[in-house]
This record gives sequence, C-alpha cells and structure tokens, in this order.
Amino acid sequence: MPKSGSTPKVTRRTALAGLSASAALLAMPRLGRAADETIRIGFPTPLTGPFAAEARDQVKCAELAVKLVNDKGGIGGRKVELLVRDDKLNAGEAATRTLELIEKDKVHAVVGALSSAVQLAVNEVTRARGVIYVSISQSDTINEAKDFSKYTFHEALNPHMTTAAVARQTLKKGMKVAHLVADYAYGHEMLRGFKRAQAAIGADNVGEILHPFGAADYSTFMPRLMSMRPDVLCISNFGRDQANAIKQAVDFGVKQQMKIVVPVILHNQRLAVGPDVFEGVVGGANYYWGLEAQSKSAASFNAAFKAANGGAIPTDYGAYGYSGVGSLLAAMQVADGTDTDKVVDALEKLQYDLTKSPQHYRKCDHQSVQSVLVLESKKKSAMAGDNDLFAILANDTGSDDMLRSCSELGHAT
Amino acid sequence: MTHPSSGEVIAKPAPSGLGRLLDHRVLLSIAVLAILPWLLPSKALAVNVLIYGVVVMGYNLLFGYTGLLSFGQAAFFGAGAYFTGIAIGRYGVPWFAAVAIAVGLSTCLAAVIGIISTRTRGIYFSMVTLALAQLVYYVALQASSFTGGENGLRGFTVDRISLFGHQVNFLDPVNKYYVLMAFAALAMWFQSRILNSPFGAVIEAIRENEQRARACGYDVERSKLVVFMLSGAISSLGGCMLALHLSIVPLDILHYQTSGMIVMMVLLGGARSFFGPFVGAASFLILEDVISLWTPHWQIFVGAIFVLFVLFLPKGIWGTLLDVLGIGKARR
Repeated sequence: MPKSGSTPKVTRRTALAGLSASAALLAMPRLGRAADETIRIGFPTPLTGPFAAEARDQVKCAELAVKLVNDKGGIGGRKVELLVRDDKLNAGEAATRTLELIEKDKVHAVVGALSSAVQLAVNEVTRARGVIYVSISQSDTINEAKDFSKYTFHEALNPHMTTAAVARQTLKKGMKVAHLVADYAYGHEMLRGFKRAQAAIGADNVGEILHPFGAADYSTFMPRLMSMRPDVLCISNFGRDQANAIKQAVDFGVKQQMKIVVPVILHNQRLAVGPDVFEGVVGGANYYWGLEAQSKSAASFNAAFKAANGGAIPTDYGAYGYSGVGSLLAAMQVADGTDTDKVVDALEKLQYDLTKSPQHYRKCDHQSVQSVLVLESKKKSAMAGDNDLFAILANDTGSDDMLRSCSELGHAT
Repeated sequence: MTHPSSGEVIAKPAPSGLGRLLDHRVLLSIAVLAILPWLLPSKALAVNVLIYGVVVMGYNLLFGYTGLLSFGQAAFFGAGAYFTGIAIGRYGVPWFAAVAIAVGLSTCLAAVIGIISTRTRGIYFSMVTLALAQLVYYVALQASSFTGGENGLRGFTVDRISLFGHQVNFLDPVNKYYVLMAFAALAMWFQSRILNSPFGAVIEAIRENEQRARACGYDVERSKLVVFMLSGAISSLGGCMLALHLSIVPLDILHYQTSGMIVMMVLLGGARSFFGPFVGAASFLILEDVISLWTPHWQIFVGAIFVLFVLFLPKGIWGTLLDVLGIGKARR
C-alpha cells in the first residue's frame, strides 16, 4: 500500500492482492455446496468416437434405472442423479473426468466406461480414493488380482466366458479356425479366450491376423484369410469395426467358404448394416430383447424402456447400463444409503435379476456371474419384424464354472 | 559451444510500466498459476492446464524460439510419464527421485532423436520427428510387460508424499495442484534462464536466419541438438507431472494426435511468447471441457475456433494481447 497519500498509485502488490481477492470471491459459491441429499452416480462413457452408438444406449438405460428408483421415492427418501461425462474413448480423458466427478461433483459411486483401457484407468482412480466403481464393459484384466480392489465391480461379461460360450456352439473337434483380431486389448483378450476354448474342444488354429483399431479397409486381410482355408472365421473386434469387417468379408465371398463367428454380436451394428450382410453370423451377447418370451425380467425391462423411449427397444450394451446402475442402486437400498463399506457389503451379498435371469457378484473378483446368450443373425425372410434380428441358439445359465478360478486370477482363496 | 557476446545487442524499446512488469515474467506467471484452481471449473482441469502448459512451454522452445516444427513432442511427454510410472511402480523408487530419473532418461531419448532429426530441415525435420515418435509409440505398445501395452501403465498411485518432514495427502486435489505447480515454476524459471542467456539469443538468431547465424560463427547443428534436448527435458517433466496426477499412463499419450494437440495449443496461445503456452493449454482444455458438457460434437467448435485463430490471429491469444498492449518483442 502506498505510504504517502499524495499519489494513489496501484502497485504490483496491490494489483496482485486485488486479483487474488476477486478470484477467491468468485470461488466462494463452490465452497458452499456440501450437504445436499441427492445421491450422485458418475457415468463416464464414450459419447464421441467409434463406440458412440453403444454409449448412447448405455446412457439411456442407466437413466431409466435411475428414473425407476426415483419414481418409487428414491433411496431412503434421497433422489438419485446420474452425471454423464464424455470420456472420448481415451483413458487419460476418462481418468480426468473421473477425478472431476469425485473431487468436484462428489459422486458416491461411478458406473460406466466402454473400453478395456478406459475402464482400467477409471478403476485406478476410483480404487485409490475408495469410491465404488461398477464397470460395464468387457475385460478379463479387471478381474485379475493386480487391478482388483474391494471397490471394483464388473457387471459386464468377460471375454473368457463369452468366447467359451460362442465356441461351444460353433466349433467342433478337428475344425480349422482363423482369426481376424482388432489390435488392442479387447481383441487380444477375445483371441486368447477363443484359443483357450479351441484347445479344449480340439479345433485347430490355422492363422490369425491383427488389424489396426478403427480400420476402415479390410480388403487386404480377406484374401489372406481365405487362403488359410478355415471352416470358421472369428472376427474379434467391436463397434463400427465389426460392421465394416463383416461387410467387407461378405463382399469378398468369405461366407460361401466359411462360417463367420464373432465374440459379441452387436445389435446396433447389425441394424446399421442390414440383414443380408449379417445373415448366419453367430456371436455372444449379454442381452437380446427377444428374451422376453422366456424371461419375465426381460419383458418388464423391455416394457419400461419402451415406455421411456417412445417405443424403442433396449440393446445389449444398453442393458449393461441398466443392470450396472440398477444393481448398485439395489445395494444402496439394502445399505440404506451411500456408506461405501455397507454398499460394498450389500453388493457382495446381492442377488439381482434385472434384465434376464438371476445374477450375483462373485466374492473373490466381483465379477457378475450371469447367463451368456449365443445368437445367430436371422435372414431377412425369417424376420417377423424390423427388430426381429436374432435367433437365440443358446442361453447358458450363469455359474462360477464359466469363469477363470479365483486362484488363477491371483486372488487369495 | 560458441558463446555470443551479443546478447545485449538486441535493442530493447524504452520500458513502459507494463513492460517493466514483464521483466518478472516467471514470478507473474507463478502468481497467475497460483490462483488458477479457483478460477477454473475443476481442480483436475487446473492440473491439466499446468501439465500441458509445461509440455507446450518445452515445445515452444523448439518451435517458437528456434523455429523447428516438430511433430514428435509426444514422445518426450510420454517418456517422462512412462519412466516415472515404471520407476515408482516396478522399482519402488521414491516419487521425487523417479521424476529426476525420468527427466534424465527422457533427455537421453531426446538426444538420440535429436541427433537423427536435427540433421534434416523443414518438412523433413517434421516428418523424421513424427516417424521417430511413432517408433516410441510402438515400442511402448509392444513392451507390454513394462508399459501395460494398450491397457496403459497402472499400479503406481502416489497417495502420500513427505515434504520437508510433513506428510502430505497427495490425493487431495489442492495439495496435488500446488506440489505440481512447484515443478511448473521450476520449469518456467529454467526456460526463462535459457532465453535470457546468450544461448537464447543464438537459437533466436537461428530462427531468424540460419545462414547468417552460421556465418557469424555459431555452431548451428550443435545448438539445434542442445535446444532439442532442453525442449525434450522440459516436456518430459510435464509427463512426470501427468503420471503423478492421473496415476495411470494411457498409451494415447504417445500418439501423434497428442503431438498435434501440442502444436495446436502453442499456436492458440502464441508461439514465441513466454506465457503463451499456458494460455494456449488453458484455452484449449477449457474449450474442450466446457463445450463437451453441452454437446458431443465439441470437435466442430474447437476446430472452427482453431481455424479462425490461424486465419485472423496468427500470433495466438497471448501474442496478440501483448501486441495490442504495445509490449516489445524482447520482453515477452
């Protein structure tokens, strides 16, 4: 401050002091948001990028799960709020968004992510801070002891159980199998799962080709795959890559020579490409709306989704959003609040049947034990309507035997 | 190295009040950074501004001050992060030593890439740096037992640190911000020192006219290599900060898109200006953060804004602001 009152000069020091004071003033309202009663669930998901279609379905279904709870008066009288954030399918972005959700928005739990690397990044952030995370995207790694924590739950299927179920339906002893694999964690884990299942069945591997993630052109791979003369071609990739790869395989006449099998057959990609291209393709799934003929819970999930979304039907990855958020909220009901230890305890003991059949989280790795569907894409003439996409070849009941054992994953047993 | 005695020769305009203030550019920058977490929507975003600010500042030494357009800066950003994570997670090195080791190793990497790339000029330099950085990307992808491959590096969370005998909770966003800000301050002081040194004048001379610099007797090749290494060292420090901040290292950090983002940030903030990189990093990240909350099509807006800047404000936000305020070039 100027000592003599003669010239009121603004010195650097006063300017800086003024600046920080005004900044502090601006920050004031942020400090005051403490004890509102809403339960906040963070939901990072790739709203942009090649998995955007699946991500949007996840959001719709997660919102439905929240709405149904709120309509019944919330949890112990507290409303639930879903905070959706775009993780841009980027692990660094997802970690930053999760930090924001925890530090700024003070979420009580996190559900979401739609890629192997991204879910592991989210998990790293949440487990260090003791925040519950329910992952709804396929991964084998997240089950392993190295990445596990008591706050980590995995609602999605994992590549091991998916590929085993698909292989059981499609492979026989002595068959020749070739693989086209997206060159990233998801593809590698699916390939590993298929090879393990192949070895158990006695099918032969005749070759595998890795393609870059997000590739648009598969024409160079097809002649090489055809020259391997396999009986079955397993295409292990996800999202738009799946549609592009199958479309180009069909253009090359691959289907006349061999059967196309995918680990996860995607509702949205089948819709995007059409019945002729997908005809006869077999793949695994966690959910298909057509289950409503055999499952009451599927019927009521479909009905609730239709009512909330103008008659649309829920998709496979959407169902993960519903059961991931739904199981968490059910555990919060049991725990009567958001106390983390109580909710973890409730999740471990929870038996839930939200979309298809009874599910529970296995104690050692918190993997959701659930049924696996194997679907075959219908040909156009066999479709009863626009949404009648798949025939259900198998509906394997969930059991611990489907999973790798706790000791194999490195958990103390 | 040849030391020029002509550092003082550049005529400085008569210092105005504001110009005199900018003599203390490091202190002023630190003051602004110190209040940043209270100005931005979230602390995590503020830490990202710090991190990318340091990375882009290192890059600015190469691009803005020396005039070498590299498309491979992500290699050093990523190397700093990976080395920090591996040192802590795999070898149990204390976090502070891990940062020092990571910067050292990344500088060695910069020396190797620099020796190869600084032999070329213009577009060839850009292409060679891009290619070598991609090489680093694929090494990280393939060496998955060390780097975690596509899943990224995990398992090295630093939750408590010991500072001058005090235990500090490093998971607390405010603590984390100010600890990392100390690193940023160190980097800023270092860069300011380089720019004020005779060597700083040499690299600017190379940018203005390489032939003339050579004719004046400066060892252009060696100066380029040294500046490449210094730039790599500063950017790798940003990588170390990222590893400590996120406690993961995503593989994407080494992707060429990260290099492209660094170039965008420096152009947005203003190349050749001391504080421009922080302004560029902050504006890019805030745009991304704020717009992606409104719409998933945030890239359209960020892209359009970037094009407008390149067309109408080639000196970037900070460079243009300094021009408007009439502050001399030598004082940036």
